[in-house]
Amino acid sequence: MKNIGLIIDRFHLENKVAEFLKILKKKAKVSIYVEESYLLNKDNLNFDVDLFFVKGKGKLMVAMARMIENETSIPLINSYKGIWLSINRFMNSLILKKGGIRVPDFSLNPSNCKSPFPNYIMKNIIDQKTYSFKPNILREDGCLKINDERAIEECNGINEKYQYFYYQKFIKSKWEYKVYGFGDNLYFYKQIPVLVNPNKMETRREIEEITELKEIVLKAMKLLDLKVASLDFLKSNEDQYYLTDINSTPNFNYIKDGPKIMADFLIEQTRN
Amino acid sequence: MHLRIGILSKRKGYFTGKLKNFFESNGHNTIIYTKENLCINESMLENDLYILKSKHQIPFVYAGFYAESHGIPVIPNTDISQKHKDRFEAYLLIKNAGLLYPKWYYGTPQTIKKNLKDKDFPLILKPVSGSGSRGVKVIYNFGDIENLNQDILYLEKYIEGTHYTVYFIGDKICAMEKIPLKNEHSEMTRRKLSKEIKQIIMTWKNQYNLLFGHLDIVIEKKTHKHLVVDPGSFPEFSNWKCGGDPVSLIGNLILEEYKKLKN
Repeated sequence: MKNIGLIIDRFHLENKVAEFLKILKKKAKVSIYVEESYLLNKDNLNFDVDLFFVKGKGKLMVAMARMIENETSIPLINSYKGIWLSINRFMNSLILKKGGIRVPDFSLNPSNCKSPFPNYIMKNIIDQKTYSFKPNILREDGCLKINDERAIEECNGINEKYQYFYYQKFIKSKWEYKVYGFGDNLYFYKQIPVLVNPNKMETRREIEEITELKEIVLKAMKLLDLKVASLDFLKSNEDQYYLTDINSTPNFNYIKDGPKIMADFLIEQTRN
Repeated sequence: MHLRIGILSKRKGYFTGKLKNFFESNGHNTIIYTKENLCINESMLENDLYILKSKHQIPFVYAGFYAESHGIPVIPNTDISQKHKDRFEAYLLIKNAGLLYPKWYYGTPQTIKKNLKDKDFPLILKPVSGSGSRGVKVIYNFGDIENLNQDILYLEKYIEGTHYTVYFIGDKICAMEKIPLKNEHSEMTRRKLSKEIKQIIMTWKNQYNLLFGHLDIVIEKKTHKHLVVDPGSFPEFSNWKCGGDPVSLIGNLILEEYKKLKN
């Protein structure tokens, strides 16, 4: 029986993976490393594990992923690079754009400089914590200005104090498209944008595969070295898809049979 | 050729200000970008070269990556500068160069208390993202850990011995003895360059193709082992006492490197 190492934080362990663990434990031995109770050090990197799955993006988990990758030959899902790039919004936007993926125009500005875009969404720069998008929507002089409270906290808060804001040009879209990727297996959904209806699950529905989106998703996952991800898109008035967000630790409970799909994918990866 | 040079720096004065004067006196237009005026977008593309003096991820490292992704050279290289700033990446750089590094621990205060013993102290608390002495503190016992208001700690074994800051600019190496944990600007005494220290610097410099920088090295009293405790990609060189003006030495190295990169 294969041994899968799960690197996770207490929040995800207690709230997000019960069903997944139930299924996975029937198929593999599972060793759990909890961020809040693991001491990382250079002499503590011997693992009897066939594959690691990183469910979360806390500081210790990210550091542990980096160490495992450098010091062992055990495969990681996702890779350190993939996790790091997903967390660093500016960096993933830069790489995706350079790689030919359409992302909304973006800019990183000092807090004393205005957004270069009349209609914009301000987002947090480092997307590492478990709290979700908290938009504050303003309409001024015919322009739409959406500020994420998390970004304001990061800019001026007690801990980070970046004094910078990440601005993304606003793309008006009737629907928000969400694609979950487990390797090459993709699952397509659409919902009313959360800015219109914050209860995303109320309007979410599964849709048929969209060929154009499939190509973009697979290319984006490759560019960011992600094997498991969720990706958000908006579709402009010109019918062009813009990749607006990417997440290396998607909540697979939101898709039908998600915990089983995730567990099966990990088992399949141990065979490669 | 007259270049448009951008210096990415948290300060306008000190070494940065002198470097700007050096480039301007050599006919190059030079702008210092700090957290006050650095917008990372197309506006950055008007320069020919960026110098990454400060390595805070936001905004300077990001700006370096932005410039490089648009084909504009950044000196020192952004990726290596970023790795100097991150404790884990710095540890891996040192390890992968075959050099020695002190034991370290990373975890919550509870985990550290559970796993460490009295004999493991003293330790040094260091910020994960940082280099130099800012935020560095000696932790003598478990009581000191309880007094820290941090959810996750990076602690390194304190090495008792002789502490050095060793600068290098091109082929010049300058070994300065310093008081443990004092910053780069504190008083230091020049020491004769030993064979071991020279070897460490040459290994480091060659492994990562560095033009200049520094390593903090401790020679352990008990074992005489040389441990690298902190690397720096662009120090202030405030204790450079080995001949020549570090500003013009570095300025010339940067201009030569730019020519090489463009050819």
